[in-house]
This record gives sequence, structure tokens and C-alpha cells, in this order.
Amino acid sequence: MRKNPLVRLTVLMLVFVLAVSLLLSGCGQKGNQNSSNQNQQNTAPKEKIIRVTVSGTPNLDPGVGQDYGSSTALANIYDSLVFPQNDGTLKPLLAEKWDVGSDNLTYTFYLRKGVKFHNGDELTADDVVFSMKRLLAIGEGFAYLFADVVKDVTAVDQYTVKFTLNKPFGPFVETLVRLYILNKDQVMQNINKNGQYGEMGDYGREWLITHDAGSGPYMVKELKQQGYLYAVRFDDYWGGWDNDAPDAFKLIDTTEGATVRTLMNNRELEITDQWQTTENINAMSKIPGVSICSNFSGTMLNIMLNTKKAPTDDVNFRKALSCVFDYDSIIKLFPDSIQAKGPVPHDLPGFDPEVYQYKQDFEKAKEYLQKSKYADSLDQYPVDLLWVSDVPDEEKIALSFQAAAQQVGIKINIVKAPWISVVDMLSKIESTPNGTIIFVSPHYNEAGSMLESRYHSKSTGTWEQAEWLQNKEIDAMIEDALSTIDKKQRFEKYKKIQNVIVNDITPTIWVLDQAERRAYQSDYVYWPGAELAKQGKPITTIMGYNFYFHDFKIYPEKMKK
Amino acid sequence: MLLYISKRLFQGVFVVVGISILIFIISRVVPGDPARMALGPRAPQYAVDELRREMHLDKPLPVQYCYWFSGVIRGDFGKSINTKRPVMADVKEFLPATIELALFSGFLFIFFSIILGLLAARYRDTWVDGIIRALSYTGIAVPAFVVAVILMLLFGYVWPIIPVLGRLSSDITAPPVITGLITVDSLATGNFTAFFDALKHLLLPSLALAVGPLFQEARILRSSLTDNMGKEYISVATGYGISGSVIMRKYLLKPSFIPVVSVMGLDFASLMGNAFLVERIFNWPGISRYGINAMLNKDLNAISAVIVIFGAIFIVVNIIVDLIVASLDPRIRLGGK
Repeated sequence: MRKNPLVRLTVLMLVFVLAVSLLLSGCGQKGNQNSSNQNQQNTAPKEKIIRVTVSGTPNLDPGVGQDYGSSTALANIYDSLVFPQNDGTLKPLLAEKWDVGSDNLTYTFYLRKGVKFHNGDELTADDVVFSMKRLLAIGEGFAYLFADVVKDVTAVDQYTVKFTLNKPFGPFVETLVRLYILNKDQVMQNINKNGQYGEMGDYGREWLITHDAGSGPYMVKELKQQGYLYAVRFDDYWGGWDNDAPDAFKLIDTTEGATVRTLMNNRELEITDQWQTTENINAMSKIPGVSICSNFSGTMLNIMLNTKKAPTDDVNFRKALSCVFDYDSIIKLFPDSIQAKGPVPHDLPGFDPEVYQYKQDFEKAKEYLQKSKYADSLDQYPVDLLWVSDVPDEEKIALSFQAAAQQVGIKINIVKAPWISVVDMLSKIESTPNGTIIFVSPHYNEAGSMLESRYHSKSTGTWEQAEWLQNKEIDAMIEDALSTIDKKQRFEKYKKIQNVIVNDITPTIWVLDQAERRAYQSDYVYWPGAELAKQGKPITTIMGYNFYFHDFKIYPEKMKK
Repeated sequence: MLLYISKRLFQGVFVVVGISILIFIISRVVPGDPARMALGPRAPQYAVDELRREMHLDKPLPVQYCYWFSGVIRGDFGKSINTKRPVMADVKEFLPATIELALFSGFLFIFFSIILGLLAARYRDTWVDGIIRALSYTGIAVPAFVVAVILMLLFGYVWPIIPVLGRLSSDITAPPVITGLITVDSLATGNFTAFFDALKHLLLPSLALAVGPLFQEARILRSSLTDNMGKEYISVATGYGISGSVIMRKYLLKPSFIPVVSVMGLDFASLMGNAFLVERIFNWPGISRYGINAMLNKDLNAISAVIVIFGAIFIVVNIIVDLIVASLDPRIRLGGK
């Protein structure tokens, strides 16, 4: 019997669809029950795991990694001598105590005994010496914190290590949260002898891409480039374990909105990254059992004004721009953020709450403009304003600024460029536009970090300083403050610098202190940082330490059905 | 035929070298110091200088190219500043993932485009043709990443029955790497659990990639078939009383497939390069996503490697397409005069 071709083709398609249905309904699922269940959603995961999305695959090498995902991984896999607390102070971690020499140039740390690395070796002073020397030799990652500061490091005995500095550096101990201690013997057993560091070979760089040599609460199980980092808990961790602490964590390399939202909905993700749009965060907040954690992490939005290019080379013109900007409207674009007060984020130790804060005031702007040398020639001096095309919200800021400036006769030309070009443009005075919209963050937990990276001459030519301030007086003040060992005195000096920069120079429009917003599964995850944020208390601004999973708790049985 | 293939491959080498010179120059003249970008604004100058030396960026452009090219001949594309490991290791890991995706996607769009094209031609100007036409316009107009998001929301969010992340579920043991294609490797090692799980993970991203080419080729096949249906030899065959299905099978399909096969080849090769958004949405660790990340981070060695590999894939696919077309149309003589 002849069959109609339509029937044949339809049958063929149906067969295919049937095959797919069979596939989905459980072919080959003998050993796959759990995976299927997880995909069918709303059942407890097999292990107590915290999964967080991050931008980029974490770099596990303490001599190399420094972005958000890497910092989170390093904080959990390695131990440091000291540990940052949420109130901005430090607590001893591997170091039980430390002394500062009378010359303010030597720091002696006394190590905790009996700390085990993940392979069972004991952590000693030699490992600390090795870790610092390795970091400096490689020069990447957080090496910049120590490169100009540390002259030498030696092991006095098995549990005592001495750092000698080139110059007094007040926040030295604060920066040591970024010195992660590696197991020297384990690294040396895994070096590639053909590396560029002489007898140290490649210093274990190749091996440390996918392995760890740490003593932290978690150890690396698997790293997939463009995929994830999966780490499991180290049962012999010297700090002990709470019964409800996570058994594992996973940092998943994706920030794609639809993906993140789907994973949250399916309980396949516990905490989102901070790059989700407001719309996506709001949508996820409606998922039962999901809450929003909003906290300040030291990130600020600045409009950097080129002080060496007309018309922004005139301080009164810069002050006029600061009075023109519509702070209130822009803050609404970044929920939970607050207007910045000067160059230091409000939650960073050393911030001066009394520093002057600009508000939108057109009358005042006109007064400043009258004092400016460009008062009579505004039409000849348009302001070029650059925004980073990778961050779409910046366009709204640029347009708002343009509209506001028109009201006092200032013409703003908006320019956009991808990050890769922005970095290049800001490397020369001539190519740096009058204004550049950029997010900035401190490198360690003190105002000095922000002041140095933003306004000291040594950061000109980098994207961290499009102001080209090159002010010797400010340089000297920053250096003086950083070399002050007494914390109280140092903080007083920071405050003075903030006032001079805001009142006398105004090289920047300090727009806002950005709140990081993340959705998380609050019904079965206890996140210490989120709990503090709910109570309005500060959270550490040291990148990655808000995700110290050892202190988290997870209750899979409380997961909403 | 062997001579023809050898000749085309030999010509292809020059094309790849040309591409490599072009991309080498373009990637190095765009603004931004890759060493500084890789190490960050605060990295000590000695580290930046060391990386520049390591990447030969302190040498003139032609010398840089010679270093790079001599490395490529040895199978060494240099080191990625992004992943901090040899680019070849990255390529070995990510290329099979994209090939697997493209193959599965290719299977879907070839299978369904033929069926829909045949249906539309057989029932041209009827409601069947109308529906397929409407679907085709929509399918061609909607970009793959939009389809990907829709599929994800439908089958991952609203009706969560298909996994939406990566190549394999976390509790499934991956098969040992033989080809890098998880479906093939799991079958080869008899790991059917991994095979079915990998198929499930493949379904949505490959479908998202297949939708555009599928409808495009269905339309081309329909046009080609209807053109040929109007030709005299078909009327003669019909006049002789040969049945419609025999005419279709013996006299219509072969010539009608020629334009479709050429487009299919190009679409298949393009899939590899254009899959980056779909790979990103489904967190698929493929070479396309790797290439885009390399471009955004000015990862010079990775950019050059990815472009050269895509160039080589285009050449190989085109040779295969030419061979298929020649086998379909005896008038085409490979390399003949």
C-alpha cells in the first residue's frame, strides 16, 4: 500500500519527537536519579553546597588571582596571617600575635602551631617566607600591595617570621590579608623546571591553575575553565567546623540574566553575582524563599575630571560641574546606593563623615562659573564626557549630566568607548577626556588605599586616575599618612587629605557609594553578611571575604517546595 | 578526487596564513596594552615588562609574527593571558565542546529543513506551505540568542525538565577524554548514563542554534524544488505516468539539493563562530565563547588561534561541500576544465 509522503514525513518527525521525549523522560537514568531530581527541581541537593555565580573562572594561584571570583576562592582555600572582620578591624588567623620594631620597619609574626595544609604537612615560617617571595617574584595578583614596601622576609625559627620594610607603612598589617600562605614543599614538588624563575622553575604556576596548596577551610576538587570552581571542605581544618556549615562551594562562571534567574528558580543556585540588572534582581526577589542582600563593598561611582585639560583645568569650573550634577536622579538608578561624600567610601575605615558634600544647586554653579576663567567663553569649551560602553547604565548618567549642564550653559559632548579603549585613552593626558565615568574600589581596608590609588601621582596613566592630578603637595600628604604607624594619627591625616581634595581641588564628581545587590536563597542559607546587612551593620569591604563559606550555614531541609 | 582535495588543502594553507597575518596585525594595532590589561593598573612595572618580553611585545611586529608563526608550526599558539595556560590546552578543551554542539545542531537543522522544505514544496500554496512560510520568516528573523533565552525560560524556568547549565550534570562522572565529544566518548566507553545526560544538555543550545539555518534552508529547498518541478523533464516523466513519489526521489531531490547543500555548509561553519551568545547563555564551555572573551580582554594569542582555527574549519567544510555538490551534479567536475 502506498503511503502519502505527508504521512511519511509526519511520521518521521513524530518518531524524532518521541525519541526526544524518551530521552527526557528518563532513558539511561539508572544512575541518574538524583540528577534528574535536581533538574525536576525542588528537592534537597545531595550535599550541603553553596553555589554562587561569578564573572570569569576564578584564578586559584595566590600569586596571580585578584578579581572578585579569584578573591572569593583564595579567601576560602588559603589562610592568611590576619583576617578582616566586618567592623573593619583585623583578627589574628595564622599569626597568633605580632610585634612592630621600634624603627617601624620590622614586623615579627608568631605563627599558630599545628596548622595543617590540605596534604597533611604542617604550616611553618618557611612557607610564609616562600609565599611572600613567590608573590613578589611573580609580581602579579596582589603583589602591588607589597612590591614597594617589603624589603625582606626571613624565618626566625619554625614558627616566627620577620618582615623588613623599605619604609614605614602604617597599613602593612591590613594588607597582609592578601598574603595567602602556600605549602612550599608541595609547590616545589610540582614546578615546571623550564619556567622563567631560575631554580624555582615556573614557581608552580602551571600546577596551581587547577590545584591548591593551601590550609584554608576548603580545598579544590575541580576547576573547569569557562565552567566552575568546585571546592569541598577540609575536614582537618584547624579552625574546626559547625555542623551546619556547607560541605562544598561552587563558583559558577556566568552572569547571564536568564541563566541566573532560571538557576535561582530551580534552587540550583544559592547566591547570584552582583552584576544582575535591577529588573532581574526584583524579579528574583519574588521567587518564594529568595531574598535580596544589599550591602556596601567600597565601590564608588566617580566622574573623573581631567585637571590638565581645558575647561576642567579650572577648579571653579570643576566645582560648577559638581553643583550641576543631578545626584538624586542617578542614585535612583542604583537601588540602595547613597550619595558619596568625598573620595573615600563611607564604610571604609578612615572616612571623614564631616567632609563637604556637593548637591545640585544651579545658583551656586553659576557663581562658580563666574569665577572661572571660562565664564565668557563657555560655548568654545565643550566638555567631553566618556562612558564605558560595557556598562549601559553609564549612558543614563551621561545623558542626565548633559541635560543638567545645559541649564547653566555648559555643553557636554558624550563619547562612549569599550573598556579596552578606555584604558588606552586614559594612559595619556592628551587623550584623556574632560570627564570619565568609572567605578572604583579600594585595594585594602583603609582610606589610604583609595587616596593613594586615586590621587597619588604614581597612579596617573592608569584607569584609576583620569584626573592627572600630579599634585606634589597631595603626594607628600598621602605618603606621610601611609607612613604613620599610629592608627589614630594616620586616620586624622586621611581626613585632612579628604578635606583638601574636596574643598580646594575638586578633581572629581563623587557620585555614589554603590550598594551591591544579590539575590540569595534565604530560606535555607544562613549568610552572615546578609544578616548584618539586614541589621544595618557594616560588612567587610575586602573583596571576597563576604563569602567566607566556613561561617555560612545551610539547611537543605528548609528548602521551599 | 584525491588530487583535487590535496590541491584545495594546499590552497587553504595560504588562505590560513593570510588570515593569520591579517588578524595578527589587527589584534596588535587596536588600542590597549595587553600586558597591562592582564595584570591590572597597579601591577608593578617589572611584572608588566616581564610579560611583554614573554609575549615578545617589545619586538617589532614582523619579528613578533615570526615568533608566533614558528610556534604555531610546532603546535604552540603561545600562552593565554586570560586562562594563564597554553592556548593549545584551551583549544583542546573548548573546541570539541563547540564541535559537538555544532554537529548536533547541524543534524537538527539538516533533518528538519529537509522535511519542512519537502512538505512546503509538495503542498505549495496550501495551508501547509503557509504555516511553514510563517514559521520560516519568524525563525530566520529571530536571532539565536533570543531563541536560546526563550527555550531556557520555557524548559528551564516555566517547565523545568531540561538542564540549562554546562555539558554534564554535576553528579555524573564524565567519560575519559578520547575525542572530547562527551556523547561520543561516553558511547565509546559504554557510559550510557553520561551519554543520555550529555544529550539532554545538548538539546536546548543546539536547538537554539539550529532554528535560523533550519528555516532558511527549508525555504531554499522549497524554492529549488518548485523551480525544478516546472522543468520539462519533470513534465515528461509525469506524462510517462511515473508516480509523484518516484519523480521526487529520483529526479527532483538531487538537483534541488545543490543550492541547499552549499548554504548548509556555510551555515554549519558559521555556527562555530556565531555560537558565543548561546554558549554564554547555557554556560557552554566552547571555543566561540572563549574567542569572544579573548577579544574583550585583548588576549592576543588566543584571538589569533581562534581565528586561524575557524578559518581552517571554513576551508575544510567548503571542500566537503564541494565534494557533496559534485557527487549530486555529475556536470560538476572537480578540478576539471
